[in-house]
Amino acid sequence: MSQKINLSEIDKEIKQLKRTSELLKEKAKLFPSLEKNTSRILASIKMLEINISDIVELDNEQR
Amino acid sequence: MSSESSYWNPVLETLPFVTIRALQLKKFKRIFSWAYDHSKFHRALYDEVGIKPEDIQSFAHIRQIPTVEKSMMRDIQGKDPFPYGDALCVSLNEVTAYRQTSGTTGQPVYQPDTWQDWEWWAECWAQLLWAQGYRPKDRVFIPFGYNVFVAFWAGHYGAEKIGCEVVPGGVLDTRARILKIQELNATAMMGTPTYMLGMADTAINEMNINPADLTIEKITCAGEPGASIPSTKKRIEEAWGAKVYDHAGATEIGAWSFECTEQPGGMHVNDAFFLAEIVDVETGEIIEEPGVRGKMIITAFDRHAQPCIRFDSKDIIEWDAEPCLCGRTSRLIKGGVVGRTDDITKVKGVLFAPSSVEDVVRGIEGLGNDYELKVEKINDREKITLQVEYLHNSSEEIDKIKSKLSDQLRLKTNLNYEIEFCRYGELPRYPVKAKRFKDLRK
Repeated sequence: MSQKINLSEIDKEIKQLKRTSELLKEKAKLFPSLEKNTSRILASIKMLEINISDIVELDNEQR
Repeated sequence: MSSESSYWNPVLETLPFVTIRALQLKKFKRIFSWAYDHSKFHRALYDEVGIKPEDIQSFAHIRQIPTVEKSMMRDIQGKDPFPYGDALCVSLNEVTAYRQTSGTTGQPVYQPDTWQDWEWWAECWAQLLWAQGYRPKDRVFIPFGYNVFVAFWAGHYGAEKIGCEVVPGGVLDTRARILKIQELNATAMMGTPTYMLGMADTAINEMNINPADLTIEKITCAGEPGASIPSTKKRIEEAWGAKVYDHAGATEIGAWSFECTEQPGGMHVNDAFFLAEIVDVETGEIIEEPGVRGKMIITAFDRHAQPCIRFDSKDIIEWDAEPCLCGRTSRLIKGGVVGRTDDITKVKGVLFAPSSVEDVVRGIEGLGNDYELKVEKINDREKITLQVEYLHNSSEEIDKIKSKLSDQLRLKTNLNYEIEFCRYGELPRYPVKAKRFKDLRK
């Protein structure tokens, strides 16, 4: 199953998603709805990292 | 694709075991560094033995790290940062959820969690529920009191994460819960084995409803070892006409283990999210080989507010030699959690695990689900008494049951019991977790 899924491509998108969310959070100092919703998005992105990015990172380290 | 996959995460759940081990080492280093850098409690613990994050390069190094006992967590709480004490790794502003342990073994331990921690709890549960066949089409009824105990809170959010429709059975009483299941055609349910049997009893004896005629197809049990005790599992499955799956988790740890739809006679450890080690109870030596029981020391890799690193769970487990037919590569623990070090005691010089009595009692037709067990010391002689309930039996049948019960108990536990028969309904009922064993020698 894992060979059919391009984890590196998915990981790139996860990193992009994280960058975007962090940028939004930086702009949210006086904007609670933006800050708290992006914080929650980042918590979900962390789940993508532990599901996918950690494996990609391990794979890269082992090469 | 995801709705067709047998696995919640088709990559992590099927990794070669050697890769899982490499991942575990990587993740252990990460959580250890996090705790060392952010928790005064953890730093002091590790500084005392001279272990720093950069020292951890192998599993042999991990085994040298001191374990954390529940009593240590009790000692630090109630102090600043209030009320959690100095194992807290984030600011109080980041803590978004308070929970506590059930207090079964003493003063409850407080557990702070952040949004990320709650996402993680739900993620662990989503994986286990998916493995137990939960899908978005399911309507999941949760007959649980939604209070300070973590219990099925994360099960609620895990089921939501999958896309199930979740019905919170909160403050409804047992009858109202049964009627709600009937009204909504709920397809799945979560609860302790004690409560699942109690609900079935209420439906049959007080409401004239056969729970097996309701629409429940699967039940996830947790909080007690019952769903891995064959006779208890069988009774719940027959009562509800549903498949019953076990799950083990703890407030301080997370949802670390689960049975899958193959019902392999044990539970998978979520090896990608946790490092479960088994150690000899007496010597503390690591047990790698299957079939040898020891207590579990466990680390949760992704829990941040209050890390769980080499926590002494006191759960007794053993590795299974056989892989599971489901295709998951995570290790199985045979027979689930078979006991706890603080439950196992010597009676008449024999090591005794109260849970072994449950399998015998519930394996005998004609006996009710409930029983009570007590050990006393009378004039330096230890006496163990078992009270059971009979179901509509004649005195001749009771004699036969008594003889069968005595024989099986002696065979299974190496002990002789005083057996007392009670009428159905005479023994105490427990709403959530049962406390059936009383050691009156202390």
